[in-house]
Amino acid sequence: MPANKKYLTTSWLQRFAKISAGFLGGYMVTMALHMALAQWTDRATIMITTAFTGFILWAVLMMLAFLARNGWKIWGLYLLLTLVFSLFIYFGKMYHPIAV
Amino acid sequence: MDNRTYNIFFHTHTISGIIISAVLYVLFFTGSLSFFRDEIINWERNESVYQKVAPGHLDIALDSIANTYDLYGRDISINWPSAERRMNVSLGASKDTLATDAQKAGAFFYMDTETHQNFTYVDSYSLGEFLYRLHFLAQIPYPIGYYLSGFIAFFFLFAIITGILVHWDKIVQNFYVFRPMAKLKTLWTDAHTGLGVIGLPFQFVYAVTGAFFMIKLVVVAPAVMVLYEGDQVKLYDELEYNPPTYAMQHQRSESLASVDGLVAMTTAQWDDFKPTRVQLLNYGDQSMKVLVEGETAYNSQFTGTGKILYDGVTGNLISKKDPYVETTYLDVVKNLLYRLHFGDYGGYALKLISLLLGLISCFVIISGVMIWLVARDKKHLSETKRTFNRILVRLYLAICLGMYPLTALTFIMVKMLGRSGMDFLYPFYFWGWLLLTILLMLKKSNGFITRFTLLWGSILALLVPVANGIQSGNWFWKTFAAGQLDIFIVDAIWIGLAITGFFIYVHIVKKEKRLPVASANL
Repeated sequence: MPANKKYLTTSWLQRFAKISAGFLGGYMVTMALHMALAQWTDRATIMITTAFTGFILWAVLMMLAFLARNGWKIWGLYLLLTLVFSLFIYFGKMYHPIAV
Repeated sequence: MDNRTYNIFFHTHTISGIIISAVLYVLFFTGSLSFFRDEIINWERNESVYQKVAPGHLDIALDSIANTYDLYGRDISINWPSAERRMNVSLGASKDTLATDAQKAGAFFYMDTETHQNFTYVDSYSLGEFLYRLHFLAQIPYPIGYYLSGFIAFFFLFAIITGILVHWDKIVQNFYVFRPMAKLKTLWTDAHTGLGVIGLPFQFVYAVTGAFFMIKLVVVAPAVMVLYEGDQVKLYDELEYNPPTYAMQHQRSESLASVDGLVAMTTAQWDDFKPTRVQLLNYGDQSMKVLVEGETAYNSQFTGTGKILYDGVTGNLISKKDPYVETTYLDVVKNLLYRLHFGDYGGYALKLISLLLGLISCFVIISGVMIWLVARDKKHLSETKRTFNRILVRLYLAICLGMYPLTALTFIMVKMLGRSGMDFLYPFYFWGWLLLTILLMLKKSNGFITRFTLLWGSILALLVPVANGIQSGNWFWKTFAAGQLDIFIVDAIWIGLAITGFFIYVHIVKKEKRLPVASANL
């Protein structure tokens, strides 16, 4: 009993959207979130934590992308999240410039 | 869980699983044996080492190195990460402004702690190292092998998460279901889910840490670019990976403190503390420093990294980090990622359990591939598709299961011929693997591949301790009696594998006599 096809994505474009959203988009969200946290809290602590939470979160986001009904919408969501976290990084760098 | 979600998880689990399966099997098979990397090396060389202890006579070792290299102004790092007789010596370039080209060249070699003989990496290349490196596909040119194994680990993590979710609703009641007498497919399914659930925590940890070891650059690179403005050194300084640096005074010192003395002083500083590495910074200069780093015994405090910095000329203590007081979150994570993956904190009991769980994971992979095949061997599918599936699975089985007899044979050859090193192991193992795969494919029967590899793997496995006994005279009852447990355990593992293999073989043959139809095609 392979998975029931009626529930799976059949359009190639949608499949491409979901796979790329999960792999690339999921990676972008993961990195942006961790870097935003690192910028606003203790940098070394978050960096070493990323060593394991980074891969776990990335895999989970990849899985969630496949659950989406529309691959482009999940791309949109992941891009939006990346943008929000990037703003945190941007302002974080203004308030806490790299300490030498 | 609604039907849609269930089927999506099911499909993503199937696809990610079948893509990584064969390589993942190679990683698990070699990884399981690599828990005993040091033991395999000691077995091959017939040099029993009881445990990782700071080698004595470092001063003599340094004198002997100084015969070949001018050490003045270099940073020298000596460590002993493995329970072997050889320690690692790494020489940095001299920081002397007048250094010659020879002094500016770094060097890395191994040194026997008893004979003070030097070995290059190539001289020291052994079967244990070969299997350990095959575990992260290091034989494929860098960085392809590293990245391939790292991403396989990452997609394995994905397959674990989707796999457990597929199984989620029935996780408890199915755990107790085992129907070995029913259809072949239910046998594979029960084995896959049952053993998969048992091994889940183990596999999860290995997937995450494995991905970290091999593809950490993927998560580190953006942080270096964005947060550290491209300054990689700053990141590693902040994570406390880099040793401190000191300016040279450019004045040679006539007398230096005894390194052995400083190591002994560090050992005595704290209870259950073992030095693991000595760094000599600005060697021979007035500004010389000696940094002795170490850790507490795992049963005393799991993560306890301590270090003492000494003045290299006077031997005076400059600063210290107490492992019992100053162990930080950073130290814990850095230690934990390695300890959990290497399974080296609980003696042989833990290593043997890890070996067992690793081999169980091999079986989970194979049973998953078999489910994939059986579920697709349906009449409504086109014959071309079914033939393709059958050939693919046969190839997977030939590659994966062939490793058992091939590895056993390699152990025997290494002992009988007394040869090792890349120039023997590479051609023997890889050409042998190809040849064996082709031969196994010729018979066109999965049942044959399974029976042949089990039978011959187990016969060869039984001959491994015999080869060792004949060649070294150090039979396994002698090593056991002499307390050379590291050598003994390698022989014992092969005997254990042989007995298990014979047992399964007899069982399969009996079953096939009873159910000739069910296994005819498979």
